[in-house]
Amino acid sequence: MAKKQSEQFFMRLGDRTISFFTTVYEIAVLLVQSIRAVPSVWFYRRQLLEQLYHFSVKTLPIAAVIAVFIGLGATVQGTYQSSELLARYVIVNVIFKTTIIELCPIVLSLVLAGKLGASLAAEIGSMKISEQIEALETMSLDPVGFLVLPRMIAGLLMLPVITIFANFLALFSSFFMSVVVTDWISPQEFVSGLEMDFKPFEMYFGNWIKPAVYGFIIALVGSHFGLKTTGGAKGVGNASTNAVVVSAVFIVIFDYYLGKLLL
Amino acid sequence: MIQVRDIRKSFDGQPVLKGINLDIPDNATAVILGPSGQGKTVFIKTLVRLIHPDSGSIHYDGEDILRMHAKEWQHFQNNIAFVFQNSALFDFLDVQENLNLFLQMHKSMTARQCQQEVARAINFVGLDEDVLDKFPEELSGGMRKRVAIARAMIKRPKYIFYDEPTTGLDQNNAEKVSELINMLKHEISATSIIVTHDIKLMRDVSDQVALLREGTISFVGGKDEISAQTLDFLYETRGEYDI
Repeated sequence: MAKKQSEQFFMRLGDRTISFFTTVYEIAVLLVQSIRAVPSVWFYRRQLLEQLYHFSVKTLPIAAVIAVFIGLGATVQGTYQSSELLARYVIVNVIFKTTIIELCPIVLSLVLAGKLGASLAAEIGSMKISEQIEALETMSLDPVGFLVLPRMIAGLLMLPVITIFANFLALFSSFFMSVVVTDWISPQEFVSGLEMDFKPFEMYFGNWIKPAVYGFIIALVGSHFGLKTTGGAKGVGNASTNAVVVSAVFIVIFDYYLGKLLL
Repeated sequence: MIQVRDIRKSFDGQPVLKGINLDIPDNATAVILGPSGQGKTVFIKTLVRLIHPDSGSIHYDGEDILRMHAKEWQHFQNNIAFVFQNSALFDFLDVQENLNLFLQMHKSMTARQCQQEVARAINFVGLDEDVLDKFPEELSGGMRKRVAIARAMIKRPKYIFYDEPTTGLDQNNAEKVSELINMLKHEISATSIIVTHDIKLMRDVSDQVALLREGTISFVGGKDEISAQTLDFLYETRGEYDI
């Protein structure tokens, strides 16, 4: 009995492992197909403009709320942990760098993986099950060029824009909390904290490199699960869930490796 | 002319198409008739490379489409239009944009010319221009089917494929669709290939009939050559058909 159970466990483990590597392989294939479609991006410019709008304007309200509370939360934690041994502008510096380099990019990307990743997987998935993807093919339109490429470019370009906007808001809310509301630090000391050990690359890293990679992951993974949708409404639901889960896992893995490689 | 030779297709080891051979002459309306679950949709999708067969060949005017490169095929697809069973209108576009999409992407036409072409197509299928601003979800099943036919017509294809064009429609709408298939054939002089289980549709539109049963073509001929016994055999019924 125990032997049978362990056999089943290892069989399941094997299946999951194969399924994981198959998914990674298929995502890589989709990436190659999308890169091949890049020369025809002008042909799909209208779809690209729609997706740029979708990835930016429609995500601004949620990004704003998250950014404001990240700034407030980080400040509350920072001021709570502060001691007399550390100058307050040093703590501002820690809050500032943590927010810009880590908190805002990753929290925002994880939330947007839920919002954008799920919606685009569901959108492409329902197109798949209602034969709309096949209809595109019969109209001599490449589904990867028409659906995936515009979303990937939009993710690559717009996540950094949203993150810059979010970082400004987070910084402003941190200033508001620590200087205006609690009077914990003076405006001059706050600015000194921001200027201390300032490295421009860290700004590029937190505002451009990380969000661009995460935006790309969200669009690529969401599109992959959308295109692989089978069955009916349940299939679309599964595609959305998988898109969010896999995007989130990839984002945290890439977060670690990007930091390790580039900082 | 379309020549299909020994097309085979299996899914998970289960054979669906078991060596189909068929010739469809130019400008004819060929109906592939058969009950549900016999591989009709798989077959028609194979004819336009939406499904790749395991073996066999499909020649359009002597050119084997299964051996065409992607670019070549993309170019060749301009000769082909497909009306899907569930219409497959793009639900994020309104009717006007659904009809305009092909013209915008592939034809160098001005916006005004596109608009005229769209209006002509929508009038041809018997719909008012009011529907152009509507989204597919706001249309009835019959209207959606007619918009799908208009979308196919706008390509001015040489070959037009219909997958179960009357499924899910009431008798009135099904008759209108039959009428449209006949009108469209004359309007654009296309070869029409229809898969259906609908015997009335077969009687109304076909020049050539092929009976598909258990993944093989069991009969090819004119509609007058089909006996009631053949239909009883095909649909596994007894004396139900009066021809």
